[in-house]
Amino acid sequence: MQPDSAAIRTQDLVKRFGNFTAVDGVNLEVRRGELFGLLGPNGAGKTTLVRMLTTLLPPTSGSALVAGHDVARHPKRVRRVIGVIPQAMTSDLDLTGWENVDIYGQFYGVARRERRERALRLLKMVGLSERGKDLVASYSGGMRRRLEIARGLIHAPEVLFLDEPTIGLDPQSRRAVWDLLEQLRRESDITISLTTHYMDEAETLCDRIAIVDRGRIIALGTPSELKSGVKGSDRIELEVKGDVERIIATLRAAPGVHDVKREGLNGRLMLRADDGAHLIPRLIGDVEAIAGHVTSINLQRVSLEDVFIAFTGRSLRDEPARKVSLLVGAGMPQQR
Amino acid sequence: MKLWAIMRRDLLKLMRNPLTLLSTILMPIVYLVIIGNSFQGTLKNLPLAVVAEDRGIYAIRMMEKLQALQAGPKTIRLTYLEDPGEAMRGVRDGVYKAALVIPPDFSKNVAQGRLAELGLFTDNVDQISTDAIEGVLQGAAATLRMKFVTAREPKLKQIVLRPSDLFTTVDYDRSLIPGVIVMSLFMGSLMSGVFNWVMDRFMGVTEGYLVTPLSRWEIACGILASGVTITSVAAILVLFSGLLITRSTIQGGLPALAMLVAIIVMGATGILAMTFALLGRASHPRLVGTFAGFLNVILFFPSGAIYPVESFPPWLRSFSRFNPETHAVSALKSILFKGADFAAVRNDLEFLAVFTALMLMLASISFKRTL
Ligand SMILES: Nc1ncnc2c1ncn2[C@@H]1O[C@H](COP(=O)(O)OP(=O)(O)OP(=O)(O)O)[C@@H](O)[C@H]1O
Ligand SMILES: [Mg+2]
Repeated sequence: MQPDSAAIRTQDLVKRFGNFTAVDGVNLEVRRGELFGLLGPNGAGKTTLVRMLTTLLPPTSGSALVAGHDVARHPKRVRRVIGVIPQAMTSDLDLTGWENVDIYGQFYGVARRERRERALRLLKMVGLSERGKDLVASYSGGMRRRLEIARGLIHAPEVLFLDEPTIGLDPQSRRAVWDLLEQLRRESDITISLTTHYMDEAETLCDRIAIVDRGRIIALGTPSELKSGVKGSDRIELEVKGDVERIIATLRAAPGVHDVKREGLNGRLMLRADDGAHLIPRLIGDVEAIAGHVTSINLQRVSLEDVFIAFTGRSLRDEPARKVSLLVGAGMPQQR
Repeated sequence: MKLWAIMRRDLLKLMRNPLTLLSTILMPIVYLVIIGNSFQGTLKNLPLAVVAEDRGIYAIRMMEKLQALQAGPKTIRLTYLEDPGEAMRGVRDGVYKAALVIPPDFSKNVAQGRLAELGLFTDNVDQISTDAIEGVLQGAAATLRMKFVTAREPKLKQIVLRPSDLFTTVDYDRSLIPGVIVMSLFMGSLMSGVFNWVMDRFMGVTEGYLVTPLSRWEIACGILASGVTITSVAAILVLFSGLLITRSTIQGGLPALAMLVAIIVMGATGILAMTFALLGRASHPRLVGTFAGFLNVILFFPSGAIYPVESFPPWLRSFSRFNPETHAVSALKSILFKGADFAAVRNDLEFLAVFTALMLMLASISFKRTL
């Protein structure tokens, strides 16, 4: 439909708050139908990035196209084709689940009959058919989140933005949200942008992930690409028989192996290596070539968490101090 | 349809919170009954028109008494007129709180010891002021008699001050109704308008609405429409509960009721727009609460709802001239107790219309479609 084949495309996107740069020159291309993850520590600028893409904040410089429309020049066109589930819970507690969805549909100008049909289907999809007539105030956090996902889909958007949809949910509710997103992907060609700082979530769901830190994208790729990009963080545990000292020397010399340690006096060795799965057959060959023998082998692949730490470092993020009003104080913490 | 969606959301939310609506109705009533009954200070500068059709000695004495009251305790402020008709029109239009007519045969009657009558035409809409004027005039007449009594004791009957009501009597409780209505206009438009808006933004709920294609105008008009509807309904309920409590009816029937509703809707629109212009950008609902309490006091008390504006010191009087609530109270009073007389409320309506238009303009400037 649009000349632009990408669902989201940004160019040198920048957002400054005063002299603090929250998003610092982001170039991004999300393909249609993709489930794209934005991963990053607190204050990395994920929400700010999503807010620019969803027309809530004007970019300081650079440009962004969502479904082919420029967010700064044609915000209304963008709004019509995106669904947004913001980080804060935004459903109305005083309305029923069904009313929330239905009124939201009215905001998009969805016709009455269409609204009824879709609301019914969506509430069923998120498992709230039975509770649709209850006030949202009586929902649990997980139910409320699922309702908001249903609400965000009432106008059949092309691109769905979810900003930390599982934050504060219990493991069951998180799984329910995951299942929902997976079902969405299977059954439609919707593009999904998912913000999270849970590694397992990104790993399970996302086709590609961008790791964001200090307003920049510092790594981008499929989960396995990202992992193989981290040097020497696969761990291989070997038990060998034979001339252990000699085996160690041989292994140390093998390409791709970064470190070999002997654990205890038996033949238990710990290796740090790149791309362990491909390395193992060769290592076994090397050991056998010098008349050694491998009795047990155990590979621990690098987790995305390791990748995350490897890219973003261990230090806590020092965010700029938020301005607090001298007259009214901070009040409640803002959901940003 | 989108406008209706916004209204639907607000109205549903209100229905689920009947306590909010109830408090906008009940609170003003309770508030005013308590305040109305606890304020009993002395009044000052009540405008009194005097028409002396008698130039006799007792008429002159009476005038001297009145002048003394004007110079001393300053309870009344005198305006001398020739034409009783003009005086009465002045009372009707709210220029004077009362008109005192000294009839041509007054001195003669006093001198001959007959029943001497003074005509007092009062604006019974403002019972407190009227009571005060009657009180000081009774006193003046009484001292006149005292002097007289010593001179010619047996024959004097009395100088009767015969109050003649221009309109049907309005007792104090009833005269509070316009004030109650105006207070409910303030409370209602605050609760249904700017407070919700700032609260929603503070809780992040607005974010969910700003990502939809709703335009700035649709949002603003939706809020305005639902706020004015809710507030007007509350104010009309207050009107009828007030009438019910005081067992009174509206003078002038349906046309008067229609005008009352029109004033209520216009007042609700103006006040709602004003609170948005002032507080729409507030970052915290607490700010709205604080400023609204303050605003309520500075608009309500100088509005003439409880206490006649004429008794205020000059600086407060000039402030209340620009206070929308003054004009709303005054217009409601006129219609409610004098009937649907457009001429009598014309000035107030003009002010309210200009005020409402101005506030709508300011509100639309300050209203932003941002987080
Ligand atoms: N309106 C604002 N004014 C000033 N600074 C802001 C504003 N909004 C965000 N920031 C700052 O920009 C930085 C990025 O914030 P953002 O909310 O985008 O981070 P995030 O990656 O979403 O973090 P989290 O995981 O905590 O949600 C933070 O340091 C934050 O303090
Ligand atoms: Mg965030």
